[in-house]
Amino acid sequence: MNKLRLIIAREYMSIVGRKSFILMTLGMPLLFIVIGAVPMLLGYLNDKGSPTQLISVVDETGRYGSALHSDEMYTYVIEEGMTATSAHEFYQKSDDGIDAMVIIPRDVDSTGMVNILSKGTITPALVTTVRSAIADTIESAHLASMGIPNLQEMVDKAHVDVDVRSIKLSEEGEQESSTDIAMGLGLFLSLFTYMFVLMYGAMIMNSVIEEKTNRIVEVVVSSCRPFQLMLGKIIGVGLVGLTQMAIWIVMLVVVTMVAGSILGISGMASGSITPETMAAAGAAAEQGFMDGFMRELYSINFAPIILYFILYFLGGYLLYSSLFAGLGSAVDQPSDSSQFMTPVMLIMIIALYAGIFCMENPSGPTAVWCSIIPFTSPVVMMVRIPFGVPAWQMLLSLVLLFGTALGITWIAARIYRRGILHYGKKASFKDLFKWIK
Amino acid sequence: MAYLDINNVVKRYEGHTALDGVSMQVEEGCIYGLLGPNGAGKSTLIRIINRILAADEGTVLLNGKPMTDADISHIGYLPEERGLYKKMKVGDHIVYLGRLKGMTKADAISSMRWWLNRFDLKEWENKKVENLSKGMQQKVQFIGTVIHRPPLLIFDEPFSGFDPVNAEQLKVEILGLRDQGSTILFSTHNMSSVEEVCQQITLLNHAKVVLTGSVDEIKQQHKKNIIAVKTSDSIEEKPNMFTLLPPAKPQDKDTLIKLAPGVEVRDAIAWLNEHYNLTGFTEVRPSMHEIFIETVKSYNTEQQ
Repeated sequence: MNKLRLIIAREYMSIVGRKSFILMTLGMPLLFIVIGAVPMLLGYLNDKGSPTQLISVVDETGRYGSALHSDEMYTYVIEEGMTATSAHEFYQKSDDGIDAMVIIPRDVDSTGMVNILSKGTITPALVTTVRSAIADTIESAHLASMGIPNLQEMVDKAHVDVDVRSIKLSEEGEQESSTDIAMGLGLFLSLFTYMFVLMYGAMIMNSVIEEKTNRIVEVVVSSCRPFQLMLGKIIGVGLVGLTQMAIWIVMLVVVTMVAGSILGISGMASGSITPETMAAAGAAAEQGFMDGFMRELYSINFAPIILYFILYFLGGYLLYSSLFAGLGSAVDQPSDSSQFMTPVMLIMIIALYAGIFCMENPSGPTAVWCSIIPFTSPVVMMVRIPFGVPAWQMLLSLVLLFGTALGITWIAARIYRRGILHYGKKASFKDLFKWIK
Repeated sequence: MAYLDINNVVKRYEGHTALDGVSMQVEEGCIYGLLGPNGAGKSTLIRIINRILAADEGTVLLNGKPMTDADISHIGYLPEERGLYKKMKVGDHIVYLGRLKGMTKADAISSMRWWLNRFDLKEWENKKVENLSKGMQQKVQFIGTVIHRPPLLIFDEPFSGFDPVNAEQLKVEILGLRDQGSTILFSTHNMSSVEEVCQQITLLNHAKVVLTGSVDEIKQQHKKNIIAVKTSDSIEEKPNMFTLLPPAKPQDKDTLIKLAPGVEVRDAIAWLNEHYNLTGFTEVRPSMHEIFIETVKSYNTEQQ
């Protein structure tokens, strides 16, 4: 066991001590921030940078044109006494000063059609703005035309947002079950497992190939059993992964806290500017949302979720990482690994899709079977767990997962034992089967 | 009782037999040469002794007892294909290899320093392996092999990749380890190094032992009754006593004569001394190189 510890320590240090590890650990969150921030920044600069467009409005009805309010992007000018036909001619002859013309026909109440003329392309933003402004105005006008006093208020009152609380009946009595947060949590955990297995599985594979290419492997296996070396690698790389995750979580917490405190202060500042009524309403809405959120959060029983997550995570990682180690041992260089990687990747992608689709119906047959089959269960079961899974399915799935994981580790160890000393001719699947025997 | 006793070892792979009933006895404290052409099964045998591979049949005894996994800490193994972790520091690397063989950290560190000093690599202790020249990497690998002072050392082509100066230093170290009591198994193609350091050899060919014994005995068995003679005038052939052979090298002044069967060396010399102006003579013993080629070739012809 002492040797195993040595191997784990060496593997761990060899990756964590690398510059690329430090760069990636610090760089990944930065990359995500950049990926998220750049489009927003570009959009902002785009809007900011473009000059205000001049939009002529021809309103045959004479009622709705005033609904278009000028803003930073568009200045609306109502052209008096023009018709749709004369507008066409007018616009044809006009200089480039007018960017677009909005034509509201006389029969807009019945047809609901508004035309926009432009010599260049029409931005989607303009279409959206015009559509919503005119639609709202026409709707109010229709309501008003019915001649019923206070109709607008009555309609507003009648308009209700429905909040569905789902309650699950179980033996312990009624429990408020939480769909949104449960779904989010399930998806997050299953994505986490998927990403982790893929990233660190590939890392194990590279580490195996590197040792083989280096030829150091023969010296090492003359000092320990190949299985110890393989296991040491799997555990060592797994610990690297956990370290990286821990660093990211700490970074996330720090960033959230810093951002929270900055935003909190600015939020209060803006709150003092807005009228008191608005602030109160906003706070109330927020309060309501937070209550619901907290209620949902408390309704989730975290202990079993965490326990099962750890179990599935370990089982899935062991299964796939030993598979990667075994397959890695069969090739001489990373570029040769694709023939073995492809089937594994295919299974993993199926698992991911199954997981995502299972969110819609966590108790459907696909979800149930995919959460029992060991190659997909670590990803799919995580989606199902927050919704509650029958005990027999859970047990069957876990037994199968760990049974298969140990079986695959055994098979991988046999391939590994032969593979690390196999050079030259590229091994085929047929060779791998021979090695297992 | 031999220190390392290999009995009837058989190893089969899909489609071919790598070792076919190989036996070999290595005495304690000797340097033993394991010879053979490529693909003869040397590496497979070495891997079996190292317990990297398991034999299908036969036994390997160390000190009279069947080997177990615990015995691998008593072996130091330098494989033919050298390799180190390129990104590790020299000192850390050697210590890692030593500790894998069961040394304590403190022992491994002090032993590492001693050896680095001995090979003039002291200032490289904290450098990464990839910064070393190939020759220095070879030395580091050698240190990694011997750091735990194993009683049994296995070197597969130890001199390949060394320049003559470093090869000489390595030879001195190997002989030194032998003098301190280590038993050394030495696999090589380099026949001159066999003659210089090995006392015993085994020649493998096509998975079988084709020749085994002490270097002296083997040479004695393979001598062809050839004498190199120095005379002031040229010699004529005397068919019932000797025939003339072409010189081994064009620049050789000596005449090579091969004695006819049954003729003793001293009779031939006496006769030559009588008839020519004989100034010197030496019995030509075959080199291990010649014996190697001859044995392998004749074995291969027999097989066909």
